[in-house]
Amino acid sequence: MSEKAYGMTVGKKVGNGFMATILNTIMIVFSLSCIFPLVWMFYSSLKLKREFNANIVGLPPAPTLDNYKQILTNADYHIADSMINSVRTTILSVFLIVMFGFVVGYILARVKFKGNRIIWLMLLMGMLIPVHSLLVPIYIVFNRTGLNNQWYTLLIPYIAFGMPIAVFLIHSYLKGIPIALEEAASIDGSGFTGTLFKIIMPICRPVMVTIAIIQTFACWNEFSFALVLLRDVGLHTVPLAMTQFTGQFSSDYPKIMAAMLITMSPIVIMYFGFSKNIIKGMVAGVVKG
Amino acid sequence: MLTRRPPLRVIIGYLMIPLALYIFAVFIPLMTAAFYSLFEWKGGPNKTFIGVANYVTLIKDKVFWLSFSHNLYLILLCVIGQVGIAFVFVMMINTRSVKLKSIHRTFGFFPSTIAAVYVGFIWTMIYDSRRGVLNWLLALIGRDDLKQVWLNNSDLVMTLVSIPLIWQYIGYYMLILLSATSSIDKEIFESAELDGANAVQRSIHIVLPMIKSTIIVCLVLCVSGNMKVFDNIFVMTSGGPGNDSMVMAMYGYKISFIQQNMGYGSAISVGIFVLGLLVIGAMQLFSNKFSKD
Repeated sequence: MSEKAYGMTVGKKVGNGFMATILNTIMIVFSLSCIFPLVWMFYSSLKLKREFNANIVGLPPAPTLDNYKQILTNADYHIADSMINSVRTTILSVFLIVMFGFVVGYILARVKFKGNRIIWLMLLMGMLIPVHSLLVPIYIVFNRTGLNNQWYTLLIPYIAFGMPIAVFLIHSYLKGIPIALEEAASIDGSGFTGTLFKIIMPICRPVMVTIAIIQTFACWNEFSFALVLLRDVGLHTVPLAMTQFTGQFSSDYPKIMAAMLITMSPIVIMYFGFSKNIIKGMVAGVVKG
Repeated sequence: MLTRRPPLRVIIGYLMIPLALYIFAVFIPLMTAAFYSLFEWKGGPNKTFIGVANYVTLIKDKVFWLSFSHNLYLILLCVIGQVGIAFVFVMMINTRSVKLKSIHRTFGFFPSTIAAVYVGFIWTMIYDSRRGVLNWLLALIGRDDLKQVWLNNSDLVMTLVSIPLIWQYIGYYMLILLSATSSIDKEIFESAELDGANAVQRSIHIVLPMIKSTIIVCLVLCVSGNMKVFDNIFVMTSGGPGNDSMVMAMYGYKISFIQQNMGYGSAISVGIFVLGLLVIGAMQLFSNKFSKD
């Protein structure tokens, strides 16, 4: 579909070129703004505090890894601890959300029993509940039961809040899978559990990956429940540790930036390594959820 | 549904743990909030039953309603800023003249994957009065007179805290809308680019109706997302100056954990719950009506 096919005049062509330049410029400025903080933080983290304060956007006059060395060697900052906590919390939460979501979603989709509808409605309610109305009461409940401030504390709310969407994604995915498959397996003598894990689970792999992607980001980034449920600095997850850290070094921007980059690195590397799949998964989760 | 139902005890066995966990983390706290909201309770061992007094206070509490209005203001700005700009970008990216499409997708989506806390930090640094990029830019273009301590400006603070939110999620909604437009015939976009004015009309009259259901999904997400905004505000302003950037979740947190007023904090939680459901309900009504047209 060449422009000549439309019999365009020279004037219109120039107009189009001009339009194209504007459109491209806007999109490029937008894209650059999205990674500017990452780039700015990276080269600024190689500066010393006084170098940064003298020139906040300039390149480092004498790049140094001092900030990184200090952060990683000083245990009082709890940066390394917080990363271990976040990794553990995220992996366990995501694994259990995917498994629970799969099992509950499958049962709700395929098994007729009393209470099926009620469980469905309960999960639906969980999706509609404004999460932050639970912030204070969940603290009270966890405090009373002694479940707060433990290494496993955050797993409970993360799994509970992640489960409804996981169940719904599995449920809607199974709608597209013919039931004949399971019936055939059942005739061949496969029990419920065998069918569930050996036949259905491999089929659900794509949607389980989608759930895992969405929940990995949700759990890694979650802040408010970690804030109210964890007291010991040794248990803090990354976002929480960062609020402590910035409070401590509020005027030392290069150091804050270095700490941010270190703690962001797992998620950033994952994102840029698998961005196509991650975007696909996140978008699929929204559109089908 | 399976014709040969597995034994009930198998089903119960599978459902028990996930559902117990779910009820414990969602429904028990809700009931707890309803219970403690009837007490004067500072978090210690003593509490006094005061009936609905906390709710009477809540209804008269100007700060609570101010916070709610701030949530609504954020919703308004973000519907326009996030979904609106995302739609415009989608129309632009779908024209033939825009290059580097896959870069725009990858970079644009990136901010939505990082923690709101980090976005808050980044923008606090940008707004910083002495070391911030914003004041540096103003100095660069010779407008030193506009330089200020941005987040202390009562009139601007709500708009300033909304900018990071908008910036973070434009790419997110852009990708959702892009996936919706991917099934539309390319010629609609390509012929639209021939004439600027025509392109706008086509966007509104042809493309918009075709992706209506996805737009509604985006609006629902955007509204519910902004009802629960907390992390950014906590990091950037903690609701200040005064209460000028207070939002509901932040207010509930402040009353409960900083002032240690757990009884009233519970009442606020119930308030957030009710208002949240009302807003989402209104949203559902709107979208049902909208999708019938």
